[in-house]
Amino acid sequence: MKPISSCSWWAKLAAAVLVVVPLAYGLGLASGDPASGFGVSTAAAAEAVPGGVLGNQNDSSIWRRLRQGEAFIISNPKTGTPVIIQSQGEEWRSLRNGPLSLYGGYLLLGSVLAFTLFYLIRGRVKIDGGRSGRIVPRFATAERMIHWYVASIFVLLAISGMIILFGKYVLAPVIGASAFGVVASAALQSHNLFGPLYVFGVLVMFIVYFRDNLLRAADLKWLVKGGMFFIGHAPSWKYNFGEKTWFWIAMITGVILSISGVLMDFPSLAEDRQQLQLANLFHGGAAVVVIAAAIGHIYLGTIGVEGALEGMTRGEVDENWAREHHDLWADEVIGPSSETPSETPAE
Amino acid sequence: MTFLEFTEGPMWYAAATIFSLGAAWRVIGLLRFGRKADLSVPRASAAVGAVKSQFIHFVPRGSFYKSTYFHILAGYLFHLGLFVLVLFAAPHIIFINQHILGFGWDPLPRWAFIIAAEAAFAGLILLWFRRITDPVVRLISDRDDHISSWLTFIVMLTGCLALAEDNDSLRALHMLMVNVWLIYFPFSRLMHAVTFIFSRGYTGAIFGRRGITP
Repeated sequence: MKPISSCSWWAKLAAAVLVVVPLAYGLGLASGDPASGFGVSTAAAAEAVPGGVLGNQNDSSIWRRLRQGEAFIISNPKTGTPVIIQSQGEEWRSLRNGPLSLYGGYLLLGSVLAFTLFYLIRGRVKIDGGRSGRIVPRFATAERMIHWYVASIFVLLAISGMIILFGKYVLAPVIGASAFGVVASAALQSHNLFGPLYVFGVLVMFIVYFRDNLLRAADLKWLVKGGMFFIGHAPSWKYNFGEKTWFWIAMITGVILSISGVLMDFPSLAEDRQQLQLANLFHGGAAVVVIAAAIGHIYLGTIGVEGALEGMTRGEVDENWAREHHDLWADEVIGPSSETPSETPAE
Repeated sequence: MTFLEFTEGPMWYAAATIFSLGAAWRVIGLLRFGRKADLSVPRASAAVGAVKSQFIHFVPRGSFYKSTYFHILAGYLFHLGLFVLVLFAAPHIIFINQHILGFGWDPLPRWAFIIAAEAAFAGLILLWFRRITDPVVRLISDRDDHISSWLTFIVMLTGCLALAEDNDSLRALHMLMVNVWLIYFPFSRLMHAVTFIFSRGYTGAIFGRRGITP
């Protein structure tokens, strides 16, 4: 590069203008020249600018105090807490819109893929001995009623809940922000209204199904044999280990969903805003777990296992189905099969 | 004219007219059936029997309690819930004031209206599942029963979707379904909302005349 001393005089002059003018202008800004209109920034750094919200402090320091959760005196304490900005809200938002939505979505997609794969590999689990033509009563009317009641509310809540949690990533880009606003409002209202009906249903379901879903010794054998998935059929009472696992997932998540959902439906029950944010995260987490598990339950209860659905629709199952899938229970209900001794569980 | 204006304007008036004329036509038709003259000597008053019958069937009779408690409970949940939410929800009272009667009354607080809606939904869902799971009820149920149940459910659901009252399209959707429900009403078993009085009265009168508690 050519040294500056070797430049012509007019080049030196131009360079001086280029350096000095902006420098002078910059110094003018820094001195708070009111004509420039930018003097505030320097003064803000010094926290000495009058004319802010309180008159004796600048806005950024007030903003900082608000963000740090400092309590202020508010004119009407009945309308809320004196903490004006709750910064944990940002943590809640980033957790909800980050890991919860992302991994929750992966879990649901994973569940669909897993059961699709299972169907492709294992196919439909058929009644090995074919239908006997003899029927065994399996579910009483009360059991079926509460099952379908909870199932229908569950589907409504799952659809509306997924719109609330994933809608802005999945629906909004397709239908547009305005239409999504309508759908999201509808989903939220229906979710809030149907929620308490689910709480009631889960409670009744627990009472009706609890006893038969307690773990028993045969469940361990079922687990070791891998149920019906790998090596034929394993011994089982009215519900096998897989069904019992589903029951307890539904009940435990049901409790989490109920408590967190009631808090969000009736926010005045919460002690503070952070409790509501935690409730929201627990609610979303429990929801994706139970929906992922429900996908498996729905698959196995319909197309996955021949003869299973009629137990819940008609209340009766074929005797061969009963002996193959729930031999210990079948022995108890209709006595040992003449073909299969009761000591040897059906394979 | 927006879609909301259409559903709350011309379509509403058309639906309300079909509902009123259709229901009146059905009732007049029932009354015109008449019945054969009963030549027996009356042991008690047929009129008293008809009136008594209206009320005593609101509660299950002793020996039938066990077999009827479920649908009576679900039935009350649904019908009382629906009655309360139709007549005492603030948006409905405003609509009744503006489009039907020209006056209104004090609405229930929102929480009470929500509880009524919850009860109505729970009752309707339970009743429909009884319809498809109980072998006898399933056998005697036809397409009309299911359409009536589902149409009512959809009307209630669209009302629920519009609860935020911040969107015209959701309100219009609810009004559209209300209008469809009103048009379907006279030609379906939804008419039981009116005809149950005649049905109970007829049975009550016959048994009352014989001196038997209807």
